[in-house]
Amino acid sequence: MSTTQTNGAGMPPARDFGRYIPLLLQRTGPLTETLSLTPAEVGNGLLPQQIQGDSLTTSVCGFCSTGCNLNIHLRDQQAIGLSPAPDYPVNLGMACPKGWEALTVLDAPDRATRPLLRNAAGKLEPVSWDVAASTFTERMKAIQREHGPQSIAFLSTGQIVTEEMALLGALAKFGMGMLHGDGNTRQCMATAVVAYKQAFGFDAPPYTYADFEQSDTIVLVGSNLCIAHPILWQRVMRNQFDPNIIAIDPRTTETTMAASQHLALQPKSDLTLFYGVANLLIERDWIDHEFIDAHTKGFDEFAAFVQAFPLTRVVEETGLAPEAIEQFAQSIHDGLRVSFWWTMGVNQSHQAVRTAQAIINLALMTGNIGRPGTGANSITGQCNAMGSRLFSNTTNLLGGHDFANAEHRQKVANVLAIDESTIPQEASWPYHRIMEGILRREIRGLWVVATNPAHSWINQETARDILSRLDFLVVQDMYHTTETARIADLVLPAAAWGEKEGTFINSERRIGVASKVSRAPGEALADFHIFKLLAEYWGCGEMFRRWESPAAVFEILKQLSAGQPCDVTGIDDYEMLRDLGGVQWPYPAGSEEPATERRLFADGRFFHSDGRAKFICEEPRPLPEPTTSKYPFTLLTGRGSVAQWHTQTRTAKSAVLRKLYPEELYVEINPHDAAEQRLGSGDLVVVSSQRGAVQGRALVTPAVQPGQLFIPMHYEATNRLTHPSFDPYSHQPSYKACAVRIELASR
Amino acid sequence: MIELPVLNSNRSPSPLSGPALVAQLLAEQQAMSAVEEFSRWHELDAKPTSRQYRQLLPATPPGPGEQYAFEVDLDRCSGCKACVVACHTLNGLDESETWRDVGLMVGGSTSAPVMQHVTTACHHCLEPACMIACPVNAYEKDAVTGIVKHLDDQCFGCQYCTLACPYEVPKYHAGLGIVRKCDMCSSRLAVGEAPACVQSCPHEAIVIRTVNRRQVLEDAETTAFLPATPDPQITLPTTSFKTKKPFPRNLLPADYARVSAQHAHWPLVVMLVLTQLSVGAFCVGLALDALVVLPGGTSLRPVHAVAALGFGLLALGSSLLHLGRPQFAFRAILGLRHSWLSREIVAFGLFAGCASAYAAAVYLVGRIDFNLEPAIEPLGWSVAATGAIAVFCSVMIYVFTQREYWSFSRVGVRFTLTCALLGIAAMWLSILAAMIAAPSLQLTELVAKVSPLLCQALIVTAVVKLTWEAAIFRHLLFRRMTPLRRSAMLQAGDLSRVTLARFALGLLGGVMMPLFILRQATEAGNVTGVEFVAATSLLFIACLAGELLERYLFFTACAAPRMPGGIR
Repeated sequence: MSTTQTNGAGMPPARDFGRYIPLLLQRTGPLTETLSLTPAEVGNGLLPQQIQGDSLTTSVCGFCSTGCNLNIHLRDQQAIGLSPAPDYPVNLGMACPKGWEALTVLDAPDRATRPLLRNAAGKLEPVSWDVAASTFTERMKAIQREHGPQSIAFLSTGQIVTEEMALLGALAKFGMGMLHGDGNTRQCMATAVVAYKQAFGFDAPPYTYADFEQSDTIVLVGSNLCIAHPILWQRVMRNQFDPNIIAIDPRTTETTMAASQHLALQPKSDLTLFYGVANLLIERDWIDHEFIDAHTKGFDEFAAFVQAFPLTRVVEETGLAPEAIEQFAQSIHDGLRVSFWWTMGVNQSHQAVRTAQAIINLALMTGNIGRPGTGANSITGQCNAMGSRLFSNTTNLLGGHDFANAEHRQKVANVLAIDESTIPQEASWPYHRIMEGILRREIRGLWVVATNPAHSWINQETARDILSRLDFLVVQDMYHTTETARIADLVLPAAAWGEKEGTFINSERRIGVASKVSRAPGEALADFHIFKLLAEYWGCGEMFRRWESPAAVFEILKQLSAGQPCDVTGIDDYEMLRDLGGVQWPYPAGSEEPATERRLFADGRFFHSDGRAKFICEEPRPLPEPTTSKYPFTLLTGRGSVAQWHTQTRTAKSAVLRKLYPEELYVEINPHDAAEQRLGSGDLVVVSSQRGAVQGRALVTPAVQPGQLFIPMHYEATNRLTHPSFDPYSHQPSYKACAVRIELASR
Repeated sequence: MIELPVLNSNRSPSPLSGPALVAQLLAEQQAMSAVEEFSRWHELDAKPTSRQYRQLLPATPPGPGEQYAFEVDLDRCSGCKACVVACHTLNGLDESETWRDVGLMVGGSTSAPVMQHVTTACHHCLEPACMIACPVNAYEKDAVTGIVKHLDDQCFGCQYCTLACPYEVPKYHAGLGIVRKCDMCSSRLAVGEAPACVQSCPHEAIVIRTVNRRQVLEDAETTAFLPATPDPQITLPTTSFKTKKPFPRNLLPADYARVSAQHAHWPLVVMLVLTQLSVGAFCVGLALDALVVLPGGTSLRPVHAVAALGFGLLALGSSLLHLGRPQFAFRAILGLRHSWLSREIVAFGLFAGCASAYAAAVYLVGRIDFNLEPAIEPLGWSVAATGAIAVFCSVMIYVFTQREYWSFSRVGVRFTLTCALLGIAAMWLSILAAMIAAPSLQLTELVAKVSPLLCQALIVTAVVKLTWEAAIFRHLLFRRMTPLRRSAMLQAGDLSRVTLARFALGLLGGVMMPLFILRQATEAGNVTGVEFVAATSLLFIACLAGELLERYLFFTACAAPRMPGGIR
């Protein structure tokens, strides 16, 4: 063999004679042409013919909250491909696999193209929009007539544009008389909202992404940034200060691997850890007295409270070595610019709000807020979770207002030119209370928009049972095959991201424009137009006459924001947003041209009436479902891969994305436990909790600690296992820890 | 309370309702007029990309003894896989086609766990197995850049490169009938633009470097490429993976424990088995001729020659089905100097020629007025010689891949014994055919004379072959997950039904039926009638089917070397 190889390497190919016989050696031709690259006519670089457009536009990505901007390549006014926008301040020319494939997933055989109504035989059959809208109105009104206006509710989303969210919230509550509506943002961001509101006086993530680049110490709590927000990890990698990265996560992840310190604590013991570290910082006087005195309230009570968290207690409850905890405190002290970032590991917990506030407390007591490279920063989940937080009209009255506040109701009524009495005086029930309401027959009609509770809601088998008890379930979605759409009575086909326009607000409060660049399939309509249509059929169309287009609604939203911390009255229109690479709130009228990156609280003034931030603390509580001899493992759930998004309704539609994640559900198990259970990588296993069981393949890895298992959340079956416990303040479900057992499937 | 202006509410009264409103909204949904507005706006504003990623490219072209190579900083690779999708998009690949892969390695201990993603594409090797294997010279290694480029229009879709490359780099595109692969975005590099993967990595983990070929050789001598990856000595890959972290000794690919059946390549299965049957049949015929001197008057010799030729031609026809673009099969002569596949194709071509001549001679001898008899023996030997060479080339095709399951001894013994086994079985088929077509006393006597020999030879061959094949299962006893153990696991696991059928058919056709014929011959004195027809037919069919399944396992149970894969 070796002689052949040597011959081959320096081989003068036989093309010398082949040259004269093109059929014998064909160096170029149609197949080569297929892959030839040519200089972009618009945009940059060499591009293949398939995505060579005649013009370009931009659009903010519709997957996660990072809010990357994409250059959409257009041919004859239709999107034919995309590439990451090079000069946008968020993504700087990069995108993750989901962004790259954002257009691909629009083109799927299971797109909902006509309204579907369940017929007498129990099958969903296509009907006209006229029938669909009439049925919606008749059935919902009939339920209201019989059981009161509050007997119908809606579940909104963080996936549609702000203008649509606002219209949905206003239509449902002011037009249709619903009282209860919540969003899937309850599952991801409710905790941050409550934590910020209580601590800062307004739901205000204070940071800008440049802070990742400017910190010298970065603390990541319950956040697998590499996988959940890869384009934010890009900003960490661009940090020129060789930052000390401290990752706090029970499990070893891509992010903890890249960190300088990994605190692999026991699940949900983070609250104790932060109180213990606060205690250490106070004991050693590593705190910023000046900042505390000038800008905060409640520090003395807090200092007294954390005395109950000596190192010994923290070591015992977290399972961490005392040196590791001291080193963490030391790092916070040594850092000149310490930033704290958290994601779902904190938000999805039975004591989530207090944990988030424990992080905020650390930032406040060390003066790490309001300066470049600092902050107590919640990284949001969905592309428009932040829009939902301000404008979904569920927990908050439109524009971050309060339903219970008469002045706020009057202001909103004025702006909208509606009768103030149509505005409810109380906030909606949270998601889990709506589900409970269905079970108690208080809610009988439900309208689900762009979310998939039959997959994503905690304790899935019960959740599906609850949804099946509804008299009328309407699902409005871009696919008719989501787990929830399949059990609906009426499916309304929605246009997707890319087929409609509006604005998203990203994690760093940046408002960006999503553009309409593609035709929706069949009779699918933009959610905006579905709402408008239903308003007319309902008979409240008059109320929304001014809401004639997303751009018109944006004007209304601006007015609603006036005088609020999120005031954006200074933004002219979508064109200005496109021009400036998005604008971060606040941007009140009369401001100077905004800087590309802006953070809050530079002046140390918070949004409480006294201008001070509050220290808030509370005794930690044990895990709602501790392990037992029958269920000896703690199950952790979380992100699996970058190529998967939530319940996979979209990401599973791309052939390339499908190649990038494990097809089958898998379970990470520590080698020690695997040996004890006599199972190896690749074995078919069954994981069960008190609520259900799932089957998957074992992956033996020390990335999970002994006594713990990990299953990614994207697989349909995962939530059969999860335990329905909730944070008492944010009502966010605690997906991250429940008791399970594991065994070989064949046993 | 701030006084807020109320928006003008009389802009569009449009109190459309019912179906008219639906129609209006549907029309609006399909209208793309807004696109025109903002796209024009953006066109005017389009400015050149601020980053050309030049820092990720070498400043100067490679000098003598140098070439371009990928360099991956594992400490910067976070497993986001943007490179895979960007490569797919920016190269205009088909729906599920990808040229770059990201694998995962896991290991370490509970106190120091390790997970490491690895992005890999073509390694643009110094001695590219794909290029050496290619029978049509569809690969070129650029003299200056060292980039291994595939000529798509030259490829005829034999897929041999996909077996030869230890890194699973060339990917077959069934729709086009050709293979395609990474060319390091050579057209981009030519204009100073970074390759798609390089420019799309958010963490700048992939860069293009100039490497010294001498250095690559030295590195291949001393260092492993990455844990549990193919030996770099096979092709001398140029990619370098750098990290500041020491790898724990137990760091292994996440898919390390996974054993999955490989592609069956059915046309190749049929082609290999039938060419070996044909070569074996001719050789057995010649041997019988030499041993017992087949009487010229019987019909056995021509029937056997024609049957052997028929199977040979069928095999060559089947091999065409394996080509994505069979109309370019003639290009296979180009690779004669380096490709065992070229050599095999040419050798089998010669074999087919000799065999046709031989069969014609045997058939025509005595039928025409020309004494062909003196030509028959030399022709016969030429058939045997070309056949042996061709089968040797077949063996080398697989040996070249340097897969352990396809070692010289494993493939050589297997293919040789298939020749012998099916050669004998084919002789039984010919005997049956001759006795039906032209029964004669002479023939009956002849059969009585040779049948014990043929039966004994078949039994010995079959037992040896089945034992040889079954020897793979001893690897199940070893703890280390070697490629041979994977093959054994596959045959005992996912492929166990086929394996069982293979051994059952082997025993039936190679042992039980010959024993039956042997006993009939000794007990009844001769073999006749229906029993004989059934026994010989079953013998042949079982042997042939058994060998086809053996060859199916030869492909499907061969653990392919690969770069670290992800969780599956």
